[in-house]
Amino acid sequence: MKLRTFPQGVFLPHHKEDTAHLAIVRVPPPSRVVLPLSQHTGAPLKPLVQKGDTVKRGQKIADVDAFVAAPLHAPVSGKVAGIEDWAHPTLGRFQAIVIENDGSSEEFRYDPLPEDIESLEPESLRLFVREGGFVGLGGAAFPTHVKLSPPPDKPIDAFILNGAECEPYLTCDHRVMLERAEDMLLGLRIMVRACGAQRAYIGIEDNKKDCITHLTPLVRDLPFPTEVIPLKTKYPQGSEKHLILAILSREVPPGGLPLDVGVVVNNVQTAAALGRMAKEGIPLVERVITLSGDCLKKRGNFEVPLGMLLEDLVALCDGFTTPPRKVVMGGPMTGITQATLAVPVIKGTSGFLFFAQNVGKPEHSCIRCGRCVLHCPMRLLPYLLGRLAEEHLFEEAETNRVLDCVECGSCAYVCPAGIALVHLIKLAKFEVMRRRKRGGK
Amino acid sequence: MKESRFIIAPPPHMKSTTTVPWIMRQVVFALLPAAIWGVVFFGVRWALLPLLLSVLSCVGFEALDCLLFRRPLTIGDWSAVVTGMLLGLSLPPGCPFWIPIIGGGVAILLGKQMFGGLGQNIFNPALVGRAVLLISWPKIMATWHVRSPFALGVTTYPTPVDVVTSATPLGIVKAYGYTAVWETPNLLFRLFVGLVPGCIGEISALLLLLGFVYLLARGVVQWDIPLSYALGLVAIALAAGQNPLFHLFAGGAIMGACFMATDYTTSPMTPKGRVIFGFGAGALTGIIRWLGGYPEGVTFGILTMNALVPLLDRMLPRRFGVKKV
Repeated sequence: MKLRTFPQGVFLPHHKEDTAHLAIVRVPPPSRVVLPLSQHTGAPLKPLVQKGDTVKRGQKIADVDAFVAAPLHAPVSGKVAGIEDWAHPTLGRFQAIVIENDGSSEEFRYDPLPEDIESLEPESLRLFVREGGFVGLGGAAFPTHVKLSPPPDKPIDAFILNGAECEPYLTCDHRVMLERAEDMLLGLRIMVRACGAQRAYIGIEDNKKDCITHLTPLVRDLPFPTEVIPLKTKYPQGSEKHLILAILSREVPPGGLPLDVGVVVNNVQTAAALGRMAKEGIPLVERVITLSGDCLKKRGNFEVPLGMLLEDLVALCDGFTTPPRKVVMGGPMTGITQATLAVPVIKGTSGFLFFAQNVGKPEHSCIRCGRCVLHCPMRLLPYLLGRLAEEHLFEEAETNRVLDCVECGSCAYVCPAGIALVHLIKLAKFEVMRRRKRGGK
Repeated sequence: MKESRFIIAPPPHMKSTTTVPWIMRQVVFALLPAAIWGVVFFGVRWALLPLLLSVLSCVGFEALDCLLFRRPLTIGDWSAVVTGMLLGLSLPPGCPFWIPIIGGGVAILLGKQMFGGLGQNIFNPALVGRAVLLISWPKIMATWHVRSPFALGVTTYPTPVDVVTSATPLGIVKAYGYTAVWETPNLLFRLFVGLVPGCIGEISALLLLLGFVYLLARGVVQWDIPLSYALGLVAIALAAGQNPLFHLFAGGAIMGACFMATDYTTSPMTPKGRVIFGFGAGALTGIIRWLGGYPEGVTFGILTMNALVPLLDRMLPRRFGVKKV
C-alpha cells in the first residue's frame, strides 16, 4: 500500500488503542440540555423560542439572518427553561438555551431527500444543508453550506472527505467510518453535487486500516469516481492544507481557502450526519464523541445529544479512577482546557480527555536546536515568531508569515526547552489581526 | 472569581520527552568512544588529565558565574560538560595543566555567559576557548606528545617514558610540503582509525563518525551541516590538487564537521542557511590549510561562519502555497 503524506510534521504516540475497537454507544438523553447560541465559526444565533415554550426534538430553536452561520435544533423534546449565561467550552461563557427534557418522543422531521441526489439542484441542496444546521464536525465547526458555495470564478473539481483523524486519543471518526459508512457516502453524494466537484477522495491515516479496507469496495458504487487514499500516520495530516497537499499535491496559497485550488474538504462525520438527515429528516442534533484519557473509568465512543453536560457524561462513564488535573475538549494537540465539568457538548466537540497529570517540562531559554523549524508543516520559523511575539514585534512577526501558522502545535510538542510556541504565535496572530482591523498600525 | 479545580493551559497537552539535559548527555555519550581512544592511545597522564580539567573548568566557571551574578544555577543542563569535552578533546595531549583551565574559563565566560548563557552566544564556546589558547600560546598548542612508535617526521626529544613529541600530518604538510606527508606508510588508514599524533580526541575519524551516527540515530543532529562541510572541504582539496580523503580524515575536520559546526546555538536554523554555513566552514578550513599560516583551519573556519549566522537565519524557506519565482 503506497501511503501519501506531506513534508515535515511529527510522529506522535497516538493512544487510540483504548477506544478504537469500541463500538459507538448511544447515550440516553439527559434530563437537561444546554445549547450555546454560538457553536460555529461565524455570526452568533438569535433564539427563536422563549422561556416556557415547548419544543419538539428536531425543531429549529435558533437562527440568524447571516450567511456564515448554521441554525440550531432542539436535541430533545421538552420545555425551554430559560436563555441564560452558561459555561462554554471554547468561549468562556455564552448565552445558551436550556431545555428540560420531558421524556416524550415528540419529534419534528424534515422531508427526506429523494434517492436520486444527482438530479437535484445544487442550490436546493445547499439550502438543505444550511437548514440542517451542519458545521464541520472535525472541530473547526465552519458552516458546511458556506464551504459548498464556491464563487462562480472558482470552480471545484475535487472533493475530499477528511478521515485522517490525526489527533491522538480521538477515535470517533474512526468508528463513524466503520459503522456509518452508508450514511457517510450518501452525505458525500450530497456535498459533491452541491459544490459541483467531479471526483472525490477519502483520506484515511493508515493506523485505521479497517476503515480503508471497509470503504474501498463501497466507494465503487458511487456515481462519480471516488478513491480511498491511505495516508501516512503523521501529524497534522488532518489539517485541510496538508490533506490537500498529500492527496492532490496542491498548496493552498497564504490566506487562501481550499476552494482557491479547486477543492472542498469536509469531515467524515459531517457527511454521515448529513446522510442521515437526507434519509430520515433528522437535523444535526447529536454527534459521536470520544471520551478518553488516563483518569476515566469507562472510555469509549458515544453518540450524544448536543447540549449534554460533561458532568452527565462523566457519570455515565462511572466517574474517575483518579481525579483529573486537566480536562481537554478536542485532541491533546489543539484541544482547549476546561475550567468546569458544567460545559455542554457543542457541534465542534470531537471528544473530552481527562488527564491525571499536567504534561510539561522545565522551561529553558531557546537553545536554537532547530526542531521547531524542522517539524513545522508550514515551513515557518516558530522559534523566531515566538521570540517576536514575546518582544511585541508584531509587524516583524507579520513579515515572517505568522498568519500562515495553522496552530497545529508541532513546534511546541517537539521543543526540548518547553517553550509554549503556539501560544506565543497565537498571541501574535491575534495582535496582527487586531491591528489590521483597526486599519493602520 | 471562583478558583478552578482544573489546570488551564494552552495546547498542546502532549510534549515530546526530549529535554535539554537529555540532548546534551547524548552529545557526551557520542564523544566518549573518541575520548576513550585518546586516553588509551596517548595515556592517562597525557590525555585524561587535560580532558578532565577542561570539563571541570567549564562546569566550575559556569557555576561561579551563576553564583557571582546571582542567576539560577545552569550547570544541570549539561551544556558546560559538552563544551568542556569539546575543548578538552581538541587540545594537544600532554599540554600543561593550566591550559585546559584557562581554555575552559575563556570558553564559558567569554564565549557563552557574557552573551547571556546557553542559546544566546554567537560563537562556539569551545572554539572561542581554543582560539584564544592558539593565539596566546602557539608553541604549546603545537607540541604533540605521542608514544614513539607512532611519531611522524622529525621527533625532537625523548621523554623519560617512551613518549616523544612529533609533528602531526597537517603539521608536516605545512612545514615540509604536501608530498612529504605521503612518506608515511598506510597514511590514510592510520588517519581513519586514529594511529597518528594529533589532538586528544580528534585522531580517530572512525570513532568520531561512530559517535555522529549515534547522534543521528537519536535524532539529536541533522546530517545537512556535516555533509555540506565535507563538500566544502573536498572542493578546496580538489582545487589544491590534494587528496580530499586526507583532508577529511586529518586534523579536526571530522570533529569540526560533526560536533563543532553542528552546535545548535551557533549554527543557522534555516535549511538553506545551514547548507551555506556548512559549505563555507568546510571551504574556509581547506583554504586556511592550503594557503593560510596555520596547519589546521577548523577553528577559524567555523568561527568565521558563526559570525554569519544571523544573516543566514534570514533565508526563509519557500512559503507554503507560493510557487518559486
